[in-house]
Amino acid sequence: MNAPAPRLQQLRLREHQIFLILSIVIGIVAGLAAVLFTVAITQTTHRLFGLAPSRTRLLLVPPLMSIVTGVMLAKLFPDVRGSGVPQTEAAYHLSKGVIRWRVPFGKFLTGVLCIGSGHSMGREGPSVQIGAGIASVAGQWLGLSPKRTRDLIPVGAAGALAAAFNTPVAAVLFALEEIIGDMNAALIGSAVVASVASVIVERSILGNEPLFHVPAYHLVHPAELVIYAGLGIVGGLVSLTFCKSLLWLRGLFLRLPPRTKAWQPALGGVVIGVVLLVSPAIMGVGYDYVDQALNGGLVLKTMAALCALKLAATVVSYASGNAGGIFAPSLYIGAMAGGTIGLLVRHFAPFPTAEPGAYALVGMGTLFAGIIRAPMTSVFMIFEITQDYQILVPLMVANMLSFIISRRYQPVPVYHSLLQQDGIHLPSPSTRAGSTNRTAGHVMQTDVALLPPDLTIEQAWRRFNAEAPLQYLVGADRHLVGVVQFEDLDKALAAGKGAKSLWSVVDHDFIHAHPDQAIDVVLDRLSQAGGILPVISRTDANHLEGVITLDDLLRRTPHTGGEQPVTSAT
Amino acid sequence: MTAPHSQDDEVEERSAFIHQEILKLATLMALAIAAFFVTRAIAASNRRMTERDAGEWYVRGERALGDGDSTGALDAFRHASVMKRGDRQYTLALARALVATDQRDAAERALLGLRESIPEDPEVNLELARLEAALGDANAAVRYYHNALYAPWPAERTDARRQVRFELIRFLLATHQSSRAESELVALTSDLPNTLPLHLEIGDLFLSVGDNQRALDQFEQALGLARQDRTALAGAGRAAFTIGDYEKAQRYLRDLPDPTDDLRNMRAVAELVLTGDPLATRIGSTARRQRLTDALSHLSHALERCTALPDHSQAPVLLHLANETAATTNELAHNHTLESDAIENGLELVNRGERAVTSACPPAQPLDRALMLIATRHGVAVQ
Repeated sequence: MNAPAPRLQQLRLREHQIFLILSIVIGIVAGLAAVLFTVAITQTTHRLFGLAPSRTRLLLVPPLMSIVTGVMLAKLFPDVRGSGVPQTEAAYHLSKGVIRWRVPFGKFLTGVLCIGSGHSMGREGPSVQIGAGIASVAGQWLGLSPKRTRDLIPVGAAGALAAAFNTPVAAVLFALEEIIGDMNAALIGSAVVASVASVIVERSILGNEPLFHVPAYHLVHPAELVIYAGLGIVGGLVSLTFCKSLLWLRGLFLRLPPRTKAWQPALGGVVIGVVLLVSPAIMGVGYDYVDQALNGGLVLKTMAALCALKLAATVVSYASGNAGGIFAPSLYIGAMAGGTIGLLVRHFAPFPTAEPGAYALVGMGTLFAGIIRAPMTSVFMIFEITQDYQILVPLMVANMLSFIISRRYQPVPVYHSLLQQDGIHLPSPSTRAGSTNRTAGHVMQTDVALLPPDLTIEQAWRRFNAEAPLQYLVGADRHLVGVVQFEDLDKALAAGKGAKSLWSVVDHDFIHAHPDQAIDVVLDRLSQAGGILPVISRTDANHLEGVITLDDLLRRTPHTGGEQPVTSAT
Repeated sequence: MTAPHSQDDEVEERSAFIHQEILKLATLMALAIAAFFVTRAIAASNRRMTERDAGEWYVRGERALGDGDSTGALDAFRHASVMKRGDRQYTLALARALVATDQRDAAERALLGLRESIPEDPEVNLELARLEAALGDANAAVRYYHNALYAPWPAERTDARRQVRFELIRFLLATHQSSRAESELVALTSDLPNTLPLHLEIGDLFLSVGDNQRALDQFEQALGLARQDRTALAGAGRAAFTIGDYEKAQRYLRDLPDPTDDLRNMRAVAELVLTGDPLATRIGSTARRQRLTDALSHLSHALERCTALPDHSQAPVLLHLANETAATTNELAHNHTLESDAIENGLELVNRGERAVTSACPPAQPLDRALMLIATRHGVAVQ
């Protein structure tokens, strides 16, 4: 009668083995996809621009291609705009790892057309989404459990990134640090296996060429560490400028009427066409120019100009809704910023300094750490590129400073902010850790009355007066548009704006909780909210799941046992 | 009783699932293998396209260079070397273009990068040597020149190593390292083909480093190939004159048609040395006396002319020398037997007097130079 138990154990072991083999296959396929993606971008650029593009082509190709991709992105593949890393994170954390087959396919197609037509964007972010998408689709096809399918996402992402960037260790770290958000994740083994398989495939096809040819750089004088620290500060500030301007411009585009969505990428294309006329060097991924900066092939004015132009062009390309990443642009901007500082230091420093290329290299790391906010990945990535320990100390100093500055003034990482702009709120690490069993979902009341947004201020004020809450939620049919405070209605009425729509006083940026958040978070948020804490969906910030009041919290939090309460009777 | 039953079910279920999973995984692997070969073929085609583009950029660069457009050439070579990284030909062209546009540091980095992968490439080392020479780092330049010299040159470029050594010698001469240049010249002559231009060039270089005997050898070998070669005659005459072989100098310079003023003067001096040397072999005592008397007479006139010039600061010295010359001339006239010591003393006086005259009243006339050279020739000048 006990025979099935060891058999069951054996089968479970077999399942683990199959998952490991699947990780290898996913790594290979993701690597192949990344290689194909790179090759397709090169071919597209070649076909669209030729060897030495004319001014007409430079001006017209980006907007014309963006018309095509704009329609595709709006009508066929709405989930593949931008980088792909935020969407991959959302799929991992919120959609149980389910990615539809259209996503990797659409990302490949639109990514190739957008980047190949000159948009200033990177190929690594899309590669991550393609790799993760392939992994998820494969998991679903194989009929894996939702948990296993979800586990394949970082595996596919690591495989694709390893091939796209030829840095296997950094790819694994990126999958853990950014996608999973946990450096101690149990998936590290599968990610490593996939990453190695992917790099082997990539090198067997493209050869063992590093992405950049970098001479051996090292610290020439101890005082240089101060300059590298300064570079870290500059890197942090440039990162902030990039993130803030990207989010600001994207916010503007998102506020445009939905019917313009298909044309927004073309609008970005027009700007990119003009920028390409000024400087074709910002076209596409731009690693050729990064290579030149690393090898001291560019002069001061060129590097400073390219730094500014690339930043602006990437912001426009991304914010207007094209498909492409910010991974490569962050390295490009960093190399140019670092190279500029390196040349200035070379000229003015009273002591011997390293080549400007060394500063360009460290600059790449600082921008990556500041923008992508994955400091470990950035250090290992540069190390893998250079294969030289000598530059690690300056790199770590600069990276940490850039990371700290960026985090101080832009607390939410850019990938998460981009998701938030789309109404998707990723769970924080503490929420993911699930430190408590009781969450907002357990204590919220789901039967909620919303104030219709088409009321006038006066009508709303009368409702308030009758029911006397401090704030009211505005919306209809669980679609929450914001909150309104009684105080604001009172002021508007006193100012004679009673006949105006309630919309004019609605606060769209309100304090809220998500159903999976712990009670301590709820308590903290409730103390900041005006008596009612809306609980909204993580995947749609306008979908109201319920509300929590202090009463709910007290009523629905059960006594969990433990010591008996001490009373006067005892 | 239910538990074993459900375990059995689970075993069965899992078995079936795993079986199905393995089948699908095998299909996936087969697809991956097929995809690998397809991707490899596409990547290879892409690589060929990129290489073609790189080649096209290179051709454009060469064309731009031909049109004198250094900046355009630089841009084109940059594209070519980025498209086909590490390509020797493109990187060398890029480095040359960078030098042409005065971006020597960037050129050095490009070449050093290339040298990392092909450290023994002669042309890369040669370009680096030229670059270091232009950057003023003589030691590095010589090091790279030597690397280029001892690098394996292609068999069809037999004279390449020699040309590098010529270049090194010229660089050493330009940086005033004559002894190193001479060593390189000696090494160069060890396996030299017997051709006129080479002998002429090496002879000229030996003259530059001051090794006149070897220079004369080279010019004589050149004359062995072309007896009437003007450059060889001039070089041989000059080398022979400098080492004091006035017979040869006279012979070579006499055969030289249309000599320059300098060479004509040299020939005249050589003839005067040969015809005015009182210590020459195979002449009689009368001729010796006559030659010494003529020399003293010339000195006497020269001193007289010089002292006649107004406000001369050297006048007392010259007067003293004139008196000494008159006394020696007088002594020579009354002394019937002429000892060799007396001739040498007379020559020493002539040498001293000529030096004073040419210093006080330049320029020196051919005979003045000839008399001083005669003294030098017989070691009298050092007394």
